[in-house]
Amino acid sequence: MRRLLFLILIASFSACESTQRELSIPFVVQFNGEDLHCDSGLSLSMTDLRFFAYDIEFHDASGAAIAARLVRDGAWQSNKVGMVDLETGVGACDDGTAAVNDVIRVSISGDQQIDAFSGLAFTLGVPFDLNHDNPLKAAAPLDDSAMHWHWRSGYKFLRAGVETGNDGFWFHLGSTACRGTTGHISGCDHPNRVRVELTGFRPGRDRVVVDLGRLFAGIDLADGVRSDCSSGPTETACPPVLAALGLSGADGRMLEGVFSTQPLADKTAQ
Amino acid sequence: MRRVLLIAVLLAASATWFLYPRPYDWGLSEHDPVPEVPANNPMSAAKVELGRHLFYDTRLSINGSFSCASCHIQSLGFTDGRARSVGATGQVHPRNAMSLINSAFASRLTWANSLTASLEDQALTPLFGDDPIEMGLGGREDALTRLFTEDPAYARMFKEAFPDQHRPGTVINMVRAISAFTRSIVSFRSPYDAYLAGDPSAISESAQRGEALFFSERFECFHCHGGFNFTDSTTHRDARVERFGYHNTGLYNLGNTGAYPADNPGLIDITGQRRDMGKFRAPTLRNVAVTAPYMHDGSIDTLDEVIDHYARGGRLIEKGPNAGDGNVSPFKSEFVRGFELADGEKEDLLAFLESLTDAAALTDPRWSSPWAEQTASGEGLDERSTSAEQAASLGSD
Repeated sequence: MRRLLFLILIASFSACESTQRELSIPFVVQFNGEDLHCDSGLSLSMTDLRFFAYDIEFHDASGAAIAARLVRDGAWQSNKVGMVDLETGVGACDDGTAAVNDVIRVSISGDQQIDAFSGLAFTLGVPFDLNHDNPLKAAAPLDDSAMHWHWRSGYKFLRAGVETGNDGFWFHLGSTACRGTTGHISGCDHPNRVRVELTGFRPGRDRVVVDLGRLFAGIDLADGVRSDCSSGPTETACPPVLAALGLSGADGRMLEGVFSTQPLADKTAQ
Repeated sequence: MRRVLLIAVLLAASATWFLYPRPYDWGLSEHDPVPEVPANNPMSAAKVELGRHLFYDTRLSINGSFSCASCHIQSLGFTDGRARSVGATGQVHPRNAMSLINSAFASRLTWANSLTASLEDQALTPLFGDDPIEMGLGGREDALTRLFTEDPAYARMFKEAFPDQHRPGTVINMVRAISAFTRSIVSFRSPYDAYLAGDPSAISESAQRGEALFFSERFECFHCHGGFNFTDSTTHRDARVERFGYHNTGLYNLGNTGAYPADNPGLIDITGQRRDMGKFRAPTLRNVAVTAPYMHDGSIDTLDEVIDHYARGGRLIEKGPNAGDGNVSPFKSEFVRGFELADGEKEDLLAFLESLTDAAALTDPRWSSPWAEQTASGEGLDERSTSAEQAASLGSD
């Protein structure tokens, strides 16, 4: 009798398991709608694109949110934060790594109709409690020292850059104006986490485009002056980039097209 | 019976000797202050010795050409003699290298980062930072761990420095050992210290007059450069209050807006507070005679000119992109008001500042390179590990 109960219990657990479904969210980098590479050999190359994402949800046909859980893999994702790395460590990305991760893997529980999903949202950044922990003791993906930002007491949420013949721009996003001391941060005046909302995103059929041309729309990449932005309050190159992410500027809204949705079949948008 | 008792006593004594850690010997006199030590990184002679090897090892850089000592040269008070330091790959740092002597007593580290309160936190930026690249070790954790475990000398030293750990050759222990070594560089052996200890002939009469000027309300130097370490950002083991301060000394006033050059705005870059424009931490003045050039960006060549700057109450830059009169900056410290120098007063002040040079510290073999001859081998840790490899190689305890 006991054994039977046990078996029933096991069976019901596995029944639960079967309603856990895994979904992949693919990412691709473009520049004003064209695919961007580290070694494009053209006048324009990417030099970096790595970022963290968390707090992921889908939207069903009615717009209701369906929470998605990050699938821990010991390298790119913990159950709290995932990392996307679209630079290949070659060409103009030679400060980066060969390792690439162009998907975020999540699971959802329940019996929703995935085919009817029509929207995705995630937060670009690292949750506050993890952001200010000791990075040398952090679990993957937060153990990647290229993403550590020791002097600002947290992580680079995003590092992105492009290069043209004699010009270039790079951008590091993260929390600034933090209060306290490293390891004892009580808060930051500029958390600089970005909520990305992608209406219409269909899991399994769409991918997310990160468009550095849109992100850097306010930067002159032809004036022959290399510049950069470390999210600092007095850095002259920062305002247009932070505004593109909706972190400053009049309306506080993200510039259209910095993140967008594109059908998977449409591999090369022209 | 008696013999048994004797043996028992001896055994107990030796057990006590082994079980109880002996206090670390700082080499200080009983009157000197003792540094505060983080609970998770206690001092030991073995750890300091490991840290000394790491500090002087050029293998700890992106291209094998560079070590901590490249910018922190002992004979120059652990500075590098440059206006702005240059990293392993040739990238120019926006700031001037700071002296490491008595940095164990700094309540905040670096020129203008109120977030950085321990040497352990500070060390991560030059080791792993990429803007600018200093040592350039970001992403090379796996290669570092391999060096620490496969090199027999390091394997032994890590084991001795961290005897309780099963796998001590980790990146976090590297940071701890380098910090312990830096913390060990404490010294109060200047002529002025001897003078204070009761030897009236230890400094010249000119230096004694300079001392009076330094501590006068007319010159105001001591407000920011006061205390046993000649900086108001000072702490020690028995300190009851944590003190630190940042000050705008009127070096710049771009377009009369109070602005500093964009690549070096000071504390405002960390706090985002407008009132922190151009504010930097007052560095220690110990050994200041050997740490030229001066200021956070090395923009003043000599101590003589530094005194001129403070006498004028701010620097006038007549033309160029940095033009402006620092004397009228809205952000300038109330203590930088300027003063008239009577005949001989500058010489007296210089003589006093020179009496702060601790010649013993500049050559002390405890802090010199342990490597017989290590020139640029060109063999850096030029392999980057994947995220997964790093997970395995980073220390956890």
